[in-house]
Amino acid sequence: MKDLKDLNFPDDVKYTKDHEWARKEGDLITIGIDDYAQDQLGEIVFVELPEIGAGFSKGDEFGSVESVKAVSQIYIPVSGEVVEINAGLEDAPELVNQACYTQGWLIRVKPSQASELDSLMDKAAYLDMLKG
Amino acid sequence: MTSCLKTTPLHPWHKDAGANMADFGGFDMPLWYETGVKTEHLAVLTSAGIFDTSHMACLFVTGGDAFKLINYCFTRDITALDPGRCVYGAFLNSKGHCLDDAIVYKNSDVFFMICVNAGMGAAIAGHLNENTTGLEVTVEDLTGKIAKMDIQGCNSARIFSKLIQNPAKMFNPLPYFSFKGNFDESLLGDSAVKLSDGTPILLSRSGYTGEFGFEIFIHPKAIVKLWKDILAVGKDLGVTACGLGARDSLRAGACLPLSHQDIGPWKFKNHPWEFALPYTKDKTSFTKDFLGAKALLSTEGDVFVYPFVGESLRKVAAGEETKVLDKTGAVIGRVLTCATDMGITRHDGKIISIASGNLLPDVPIKGLSCGFVMVSKQLDPGVTLTLAEGKRSITATLVTDIRPDRTARKKITDFL
Repeated sequence: MKDLKDLNFPDDVKYTKDHEWARKEGDLITIGIDDYAQDQLGEIVFVELPEIGAGFSKGDEFGSVESVKAVSQIYIPVSGEVVEINAGLEDAPELVNQACYTQGWLIRVKPSQASELDSLMDKAAYLDMLKG
Repeated sequence: MTSCLKTTPLHPWHKDAGANMADFGGFDMPLWYETGVKTEHLAVLTSAGIFDTSHMACLFVTGGDAFKLINYCFTRDITALDPGRCVYGAFLNSKGHCLDDAIVYKNSDVFFMICVNAGMGAAIAGHLNENTTGLEVTVEDLTGKIAKMDIQGCNSARIFSKLIQNPAKMFNPLPYFSFKGNFDESLLGDSAVKLSDGTPILLSRSGYTGEFGFEIFIHPKAIVKLWKDILAVGKDLGVTACGLGARDSLRAGACLPLSHQDIGPWKFKNHPWEFALPYTKDKTSFTKDFLGAKALLSTEGDVFVYPFVGESLRKVAAGEETKVLDKTGAVIGRVLTCATDMGITRHDGKIISIASGNLLPDVPIKGLSCGFVMVSKQLDPGVTLTLAEGKRSITATLVTDIRPDRTARKKITDFL
């Protein structure tokens, strides 16, 4: 496992205690798992994503990420409706390892309560949590 | 948190290599390196991989009654075992439950070595010592005095031959489950095996991946150099350092049990490893009396362990929470191991391996989940079951074997 200092936590996303990230992009919010999560999981071999149109409340399980080591549930950081999924992960789940904040994103949602994003942790708060 | 974990002599190397480390049997061990588990797993199937297995423990059993003690405590009947040969089996308690699996190496009638799992040296030494009443025998726990690494895969002998004296003599013959030499200079006999720099080793034609290769026992001070030398001389052939993740997926695909997970505190019978029991031909009795035999001959409290293969590479977590359901939906057991063998796939109803040869270019090897289930009733190969972990589930088919075309048992001359 990498040291925290070797992991990448961009400033332009918010983080959850379960190691998902969320980024506001116009009216939508893009969601993925962060560098800490992908490093812990190891090589990701399968990503299970919801159907487009599915609705979730903040904290609901919306899919799973399967690595050679484990199967991990993923929880939605904000309530909303799924408007897009990263279909490219079906053939290339390793993108989550290689570029978890860019090509390895998981879903885009139309938030039902945009203010929920503000309640998530910023980089500094998230790093404090990781350091325990 | 990690400060109480033990380490092997290769620990600094693992850390420098950026390994993802975790506790295994009380040791801080590499799960995988930056290469990733899939690459490491496939390296063993197509070239060679090396594994730090220094966390495993060794015992010496010596004295006039060494044979008697081992043959009473070990599940294999070693009456006909020749010097220079080794054999896989298990140590049971009087209930027939498995304490640990092991390989017993016979140096002579009065000198055996036993290799057990991580952290089990003292436990198995203690267990043996409980059964020495009236016997002339000494059990010595070598924990910390010996290091070990495995090199596995079709290029193992080609690579290792560059690092030992007289490779042609050492390798020919060296059948499956035989060994030569010793890591302790004072114990070297005619069969001495030495590295080019004179370091003595015990070289064993075994391993735990199902593939051709060796286990190498060596002094702890010498193992880091050997590890680095193998990576250097085997670079062109693609030798790869492998972590315990690849070891787990390889052994699962090879239908081999992980101690304390697939074998443990339940009866050591009705499982894919019955070759490790000294059954008579009709399977109604044993060829010898041994600790646990009486319990095994009764059917009381019997459970059944079967290998399975999933439909795709998707798996479920193993453990108490993951249920095994039959086609009526009844819970009949639990999942002991569920791993993904990344080197196999299904084609035309058959499992094929990346090492099978003549692979069709349009049949990608995607990997299949596989492992072992423990169920309460006897089932036949071909039965399909549901493995359910909360809301997730996969379909599994019981099989008699998993990864085809394994190389472990092939002649060494095929690989020189």
